[in-house]
Amino acid sequence: MDLLLDSFISAILLLKSLDAELYAIVLVSLKVASSSTLIASFIGIPAGFAIAFKEFPGKRTVITILNTLLALPTVVVGLFVYTFISRRGIFGPLDLLYTQKAIVIGQVILIIPIVTTFTIAAISHIDDRYRKTAITLGATTLQTAVLIFREGRFGIMAAVIASFGRVIAEVGISMMLGGNAKGFTRTMTTAMALEYDKGEFILAVALGLILLTISFTVNLFFNYLQGRARV
Amino acid sequence: MLFGIKNLTKVYGGRKVLDIPELTLEKGKVYGLLGPNGSGKTTLLEILSFLLPPTTGKIVYDSRKVDFSESFLRGLRTEVIMVEQQPILFTTSVYKNVEFGLKVRKKPKKYRKKIVHEVLDLVGMRGFAEASAHKLSSGETQRVAIARALACSPKVIMFDEPTSNVDVENQIAIEGILRDINVRKGISVILATHNRIQATKLSDRIVFLFNGKPASSIYENIFSGLVRTDGGGNTYCLIHDKVRLVVWTDKTGYVKISVNPEMIKIFPAREVSSGDHGFVGRVIQLTDEGGDVRALVDIGIPISVLIGREEYKKAPILTGERVALVCPPESIEVM
Repeated sequence: MDLLLDSFISAILLLKSLDAELYAIVLVSLKVASSSTLIASFIGIPAGFAIAFKEFPGKRTVITILNTLLALPTVVVGLFVYTFISRRGIFGPLDLLYTQKAIVIGQVILIIPIVTTFTIAAISHIDDRYRKTAITLGATTLQTAVLIFREGRFGIMAAVIASFGRVIAEVGISMMLGGNAKGFTRTMTTAMALEYDKGEFILAVALGLILLTISFTVNLFFNYLQGRARV
Repeated sequence: MLFGIKNLTKVYGGRKVLDIPELTLEKGKVYGLLGPNGSGKTTLLEILSFLLPPTTGKIVYDSRKVDFSESFLRGLRTEVIMVEQQPILFTTSVYKNVEFGLKVRKKPKKYRKKIVHEVLDLVGMRGFAEASAHKLSSGETQRVAIARALACSPKVIMFDEPTSNVDVENQIAIEGILRDINVRKGISVILATHNRIQATKLSDRIVFLFNGKPASSIYENIFSGLVRTDGGGNTYCLIHDKVRLVVWTDKTGYVKISVNPEMIKIFPAREVSSGDHGFVGRVIQLTDEGGDVRALVDIGIPISVLIGREEYKKAPILTGERVALVCPPESIEVM
């Protein structure tokens, strides 16, 4: 208990001292997680919308596969991407391994199923009367789709929040593809793992506090947006 | 001619829910589509507002044969709008809801503003323009939905049970709006309702629907019951194990029956001795219906009786009073 309390107090002092190393780690984490979330959203939201909105053969199978991919372990994604970008892999010459780009690639693969399935759920649960009303008021298919997208925006926001939460907290991909290089690919979670290995809990606890604060702030921001949008 | 329908059917899961051999609706009129729940009113409205293709049949709208291809329908949908029984408003302000149809028609902003205010005035909702649409009561929602449809300047508006979920105040307001839009704006109105009084009050013509088919008149007092024959050879229908109505039928087992309210005789309870066709009950409601009086009597089941004005004057009854009813077998149709 003393260890936790001491670490906690020291972590607060470290945060107050504006330690450069600490903030570099936080910045890398935010940059990588934001990039992955943005790219996955650009792919996953339209894909989810199209799957939910359109009827096509094999739709159920696609949804089942996506649901299965929700349980994808980060180490599996790490291994999978590693085989492509390692020196002997087909993308080896691009020198992606142990870069932030490598982490982003892995994280995008990890969260595309999350964004897509959450978007499918959000769009599928929208009352069919919205579609009928838009059509009877003379809307084209595209205008109807835009309206449905607007009505499903809270669910889609939830998809983005969940995805961001998943990538900012993951450690497997960042470690395997980023390599935990100080100042380059060291993220909050990889740094925490390293500090734990070294038996240095202060930085680990400080990073943990920052991680939770970021998640809380992001959720607070989206809640605020949702509240405004519902008016 | 507004709509011409020939051999129209709609089948859902192997069940024919609509079967109309022929129906013609004229322009500029208010049509009441009258029938009990499940008679196919909503399905017919959805087909006529081009939201649902029929399974078979031909529809002519405004001298144009409808081919139900998406590109063809888009043009027609700008002229025909349906307001649903429980309309849904978009998650935004009342103003933006009403503006939607004009926006998708790419009307200029200034014009949109003018029309939105005009139609909100017409339905008495101008003061709610900036209100959040999802915070309105069901009556207000219905009025905004009507304004949203009117903003598109349609030639025809279909209303599906427009007052079924609203309070009396809104019901009166909505009925006034329906009359107004037909008389002042010349919009043809097709109104689906199961309320006979409302249909009579608002419509120029009434189309009766029963079990998906046009009927010569509305079936009322519809009950499910079991047909049996007693020791004396009389065939009767037992409803809810309470009421025995003598019927003329060869059918057996569970059936649906309809009792014609105009053919039921009603007397003060003391004047009648209980017979095969007689029941004693209590009057629970009296309403004026275009000169006649409609009495709702509880005889174990609620049954509606239509009494002629003169007949009523001769033997007036009051709510709460005990009365006797006679339902002759000829007043009962086994369906």
